[in-house]
Amino acid sequence: MEKAKISLYQLFVLILLFELGSAILVPLAIDAKQDAWLAILSGLIGGLFLFWINYRLFLYYPELAPPEYMQKLLGKIAGTFLAFWYIIFFMYTAARVLRDFGEMLLTFAYLETPLFIVNALLMLVIIYAVSKGIEVVARTGELFFVSIYFLAITGFILIVFSGLIDLNNLKPMLEEGIFPIAKVAFTQTLYFPFGESIVFSMIFPYITKRKSVKKVGLFAIGLSGINLAITMAINIGVLGVDLASRSQFPLLSTIQSIQVAEFLERLDVFFMISMVICIFFKVSIYFYAAVAIAAVIFKIKKPSKLTYPMGMVVLFMSVTIASSYAEHLKEGLEFGTRYVHPFFLVIIPMLLLGIAFIKNRKRSSHQKI
Amino acid sequence: MNKINRLMCSLVIIGTALLLSGCWSKKELTDLAIVAALGIDKNEEGRYVGTLQIINPGNVAGGMQGGGGTQGPPVSVITGTGDSIVELSRRTSRKLSRRLYYAHTNLVVISEELAKEESISSILDPLERDAEFRSTAIIVIAQGEKASDIVKILTLIDKIPANKVIKTLKFTERTWGENISVSMQEAIKTLVSPGKELAVSGFRISGDVDKGKKMENTQQTEPSSLLYTGSLAIFKKGKLIAWIDGETARGSVFLLDKLNASAIAVKWERKDEAMVYELIRQKTKVMAKMEKGKPIVSIKVQAEGNIGEARVPIDLTNPDVLLKVEKVIEKEIKKEITMAVKQAQKNRSDIFGFGEALHRTNPKEWKKIAAKWNDIYFPEVKIDIVVDAFIRRTGLRNNPHQVNK
Repeated sequence: MEKAKISLYQLFVLILLFELGSAILVPLAIDAKQDAWLAILSGLIGGLFLFWINYRLFLYYPELAPPEYMQKLLGKIAGTFLAFWYIIFFMYTAARVLRDFGEMLLTFAYLETPLFIVNALLMLVIIYAVSKGIEVVARTGELFFVSIYFLAITGFILIVFSGLIDLNNLKPMLEEGIFPIAKVAFTQTLYFPFGESIVFSMIFPYITKRKSVKKVGLFAIGLSGINLAITMAINIGVLGVDLASRSQFPLLSTIQSIQVAEFLERLDVFFMISMVICIFFKVSIYFYAAVAIAAVIFKIKKPSKLTYPMGMVVLFMSVTIASSYAEHLKEGLEFGTRYVHPFFLVIIPMLLLGIAFIKNRKRSSHQKI
Repeated sequence: MNKINRLMCSLVIIGTALLLSGCWSKKELTDLAIVAALGIDKNEEGRYVGTLQIINPGNVAGGMQGGGGTQGPPVSVITGTGDSIVELSRRTSRKLSRRLYYAHTNLVVISEELAKEESISSILDPLERDAEFRSTAIIVIAQGEKASDIVKILTLIDKIPANKVIKTLKFTERTWGENISVSMQEAIKTLVSPGKELAVSGFRISGDVDKGKKMENTQQTEPSSLLYTGSLAIFKKGKLIAWIDGETARGSVFLLDKLNASAIAVKWERKDEAMVYELIRQKTKVMAKMEKGKPIVSIKVQAEGNIGEARVPIDLTNPDVLLKVEKVIEKEIKKEITMAVKQAQKNRSDIFGFGEALHRTNPKEWKKIAAKWNDIYFPEVKIDIVVDAFIRRTGLRNNPHQVNK
């Protein structure tokens, strides 16, 4: 564990940028059709609960990072083994998000540039930032947070004023009843993006005011969920369900439709800038978590030494995990959210919390006697 | 240590210089052929013929100052043939010294013949998929003409013909309202919707097409060949099936809630077209419901405007008279809308989106009838129209002048 201090505001900013990350890029929860925004909000409720589980674990061991309390709860060998799997999971997810970024740029702007080059350019920056430590990433976040919201609010105003939003596209609500929404919420949005907030349990021990972690974390996740739901509702309002689900990047199509006063148009660059920023933070945080766990279980004093080799692994993985964008997406939906996410994001934390609860109850009852 | 630092420093500088220049796939401005409009026809062999209107940069700029470069036409046209749109576009490179650049293409012209033969959605797919092409491009149908001819005619005032077409459509939509400008994105949205059919404006050519291609066409007060908006093309399942124009077309634009302004002439005291009502704004609401298994559509129109012309003696200072005039106007608007609905029902093509309205209010029943909507249910839809027209002002004069001799 490095010595770092993260303020509550920085935590808030990081969670928000992280949650928006690649979720705002893709047609999130579009399987729920015009009720996608409802599916996102229902996923959010589950996501808040998952955050609370991680927070409770943190309360039991406020001084320890997750790999350390895993070792304490499950025993040295099993705990280390589990933590090792988390390294792989975090690196794999970082590679996936990095791939999202590369695919977005290649599809839309740099058609002739090789994927490796685009990914390498971002990964080098991420490696540099993470090697400087989590404090640096957090401070960068503070800096960019303002510009992201400036872009988002400007974009929102322009979309509203160009009169593109047709709320009729969001009707009829609950056409097929509540079931499809619940299905999408529990199989997709619960894990991606809300359940992913588990990586922040690696950052909790650095926070100066521990009492307010719960309040700030829940607020940040809630706000990001509302932002995502609004974004998806606007996408569907502007594009309609069919176009939104056929768009690889619905938000891009929405922004491209803006035409205000003959000259405020072709604002694609808004989308590009905010995507690059958000994805930078998402990959950085995942990558940081992987590096930090590795440093703990392999007892490496300077985690920054790990960043270059591990970063190269993430970079190569991002290029090789799939041969096409369609395969990449399919892998994420069919394999990721079905088998990997429930295990790492829901089952394990719940199990750990259960064990922690039993162990600590025993201890406290002993103390009373 | 110092040496290593210096080495690293120079490496970083060289590295950034290489990376930041961003020249991976650079496109010099002088290597780009900016496509302003794309016209698509089909030839006798059944292959697509694409006509690209390419801007001649030197001949567009600086014309007003009398500077050089106004000799040639502002655009030049190149054609390509192919079995698909992408193929024909790539094949034109054999005739062109530059790389085609579609990011500024804002007009797509499709020939009437092609639109009648096959669904236009097959043409729109490559345009929608391409990252360069903008989905805000406007679609028009070459009414009774070849799409290539529409693209070839040189125009006055607005030098680039594509801009002339788009602006003409936009302004006629705003001031007269028998045509609508439909973007590619809107067209695709409508094509995929089971509860709405597509309506797109047509464009026509008056005069001699061959003269229109020459620069002389722009050097006379009355061009020998002129582009003008035609009727409204009605589609069904992506194919053009009918044209509507005049008051029927305006009634359709009313129902689509796209009418901005117009001039509506009404009869007053047995004189036809005696009063002209200048519409300023209107709002049309379409509500659908099911009653005893039959769809009923209620249409509410709220119109606001002024008196633009009064050719009969009338006391316009009297609010009661204005109320009477309003009643007549309401009748006229109602007549136009009824005509539009009857025509659409005859064509069995729901261009107004009544089906979509029904889908919103009765999703369960809609599911059962969606497949048969256009052919069985839509022609039988009962409509109920309520028009509220308001005359707000009468211009600078109250009563019309009278010649007392």
